[in-house]
Amino acid sequence: MGKEKIMRLNFGPVHPAMHGVLKVILDVKGDTVIKAQTEIGFLHRASEKIAEMRYFSNYYPIMDKLDYVSALNMEILYASVVEKAANIEIPPRAVYIRTIMAEIQRIMSHLIFIGSFGEDIGNMTGFIWALRERELLMNIVEKVSGGRLAPMYICNGGMFYDFPQGIEEEILKVLSVIENKVNHEYNAMFTKNQIFLSRTKGIGIITTDMIKKYGITGPIARASGINRDLRKVSPYLAYDKVDFDIPTEKEGDTYSRFVVRIREVLESIKIIRQCIKDLPAGPYKTVVPWIIRIPKKDTLVKQESPRGEMGVFLVTDGSDKPYRLKLRSPTFFAIHALQELLVNIKIADIFVIVASIDPVMGEVDR
Amino acid sequence: MVILDKLKSTIKGDLEVIDSEPDLLVIKIKNKKLIKKLAWQIKEEFDILYSLAVVDYSPDFELNYIFSNYKNAEILILKVNITEKDFAIDSITDIFNSANWEEREAYDLFGIKFNGHPDLRRILLPEDWPGHPLRKDFKVDDEIRNWTGLDLKF
Repeated sequence: MGKEKIMRLNFGPVHPAMHGVLKVILDVKGDTVIKAQTEIGFLHRASEKIAEMRYFSNYYPIMDKLDYVSALNMEILYASVVEKAANIEIPPRAVYIRTIMAEIQRIMSHLIFIGSFGEDIGNMTGFIWALRERELLMNIVEKVSGGRLAPMYICNGGMFYDFPQGIEEEILKVLSVIENKVNHEYNAMFTKNQIFLSRTKGIGIITTDMIKKYGITGPIARASGINRDLRKVSPYLAYDKVDFDIPTEKEGDTYSRFVVRIREVLESIKIIRQCIKDLPAGPYKTVVPWIIRIPKKDTLVKQESPRGEMGVFLVTDGSDKPYRLKLRSPTFFAIHALQELLVNIKIADIFVIVASIDPVMGEVDR
Repeated sequence: MVILDKLKSTIKGDLEVIDSEPDLLVIKIKNKKLIKKLAWQIKEEFDILYSLAVVDYSPDFELNYIFSNYKNAEILILKVNITEKDFAIDSITDIFNSANWEEREAYDLFGIKFNGHPDLRRILLPEDWPGHPLRKDFKVDDEIRNWTGLDLKF
């Protein structure tokens, strides 16, 4: 072979193997990547500008569409920041219902990750299986809120409806099904599958230094040995009243990012079971007017979304609309690391590494 | 927080404490030229730039540098004001690498120049987008709504 030419390859924004509309410009020599540049912004919908034009209560539908795979987490985050700024106390039943729904949504988000990660390395069966389990939880979300992908369930002061009768038993039944499938079928399909192991082990290693350099949080950081979860570090909702562990791995490769999320599903199941056991009776919302005015102040709230630490910085000026709403999205920082992560790897591994970041472009581009 | 005494000894008299809670410290500095000097000090306690929130109080713009670390839940918010006449500030990307894209976003949506930034381009919007949309004087009119970026004739 003579001298090899450097070729420029556009990967995305519309590519069947790409998650959402992320664009990566690759310079390749043979089939080795020598330079990677990421481009984002194809799904920018001016969420922060829209916030300045809407009442506080009317912004929930926009939060739904930020991270559309974990919409309830986004709604709860926004409700928390408005309630903290306006000094609204929510009743204990609402706190527990929110915790349950946040964890259900976390399991659903991780199931999507497990499925699409499997699909990206050619394991189509895994994708169908993961969506099958997600459908059971989707049905519960539909029964509780009336919606499926964008539920619109949370409002200022609590939620729109109480739990329907008998939903607790149904949730417990679904959870035991999912626990059983994760423990047995998913291990056979993924973590004990020789093909899966050889495709994912030792690839796309993110070191602890890289995590701190790029400001990555969430499951990706925990897969690289950083033991930090906001549910433990600064507990919100009912997380200080339940007992759960933070799964961490040391290697920081794509395989450990997968394992961390699988184990997080099991921890979430543990949390939901304890919350349902302790679910208090009483009112499910504090009645607050639809249009509220919040005095001039800055409020920062950060919560652990399925992708990492999501934060909202809300600036109010005494009117009925936010003066400025800044969203801190975790994947925005993780995507930044791709330019270093995708260098000196084979083209076939790009799909695995991008999928292991688990990007949802709605949240990156805002 | 321990960091407050260190910062106070670095700059004398220019630092104003706005809010101090167990896990949250909000400070404000008047001189924007001190930002790099402070960032080096902050780097000893905080690992990452968590977020950079710009607020438009025309003609002043307030930059909220939010710092966080991986050890505990502590948050430091550093407020700096810049004016429309001198619409630039030193970049802290060489100190906190996580500031790179956040500063590009602030440039994109507000037009703030970051001196010494390695790659100051638009990040969320197209390169040829007219104006900086998160400023309060940005008008959302029909021309913006129908903007395609291409010279299309129908």
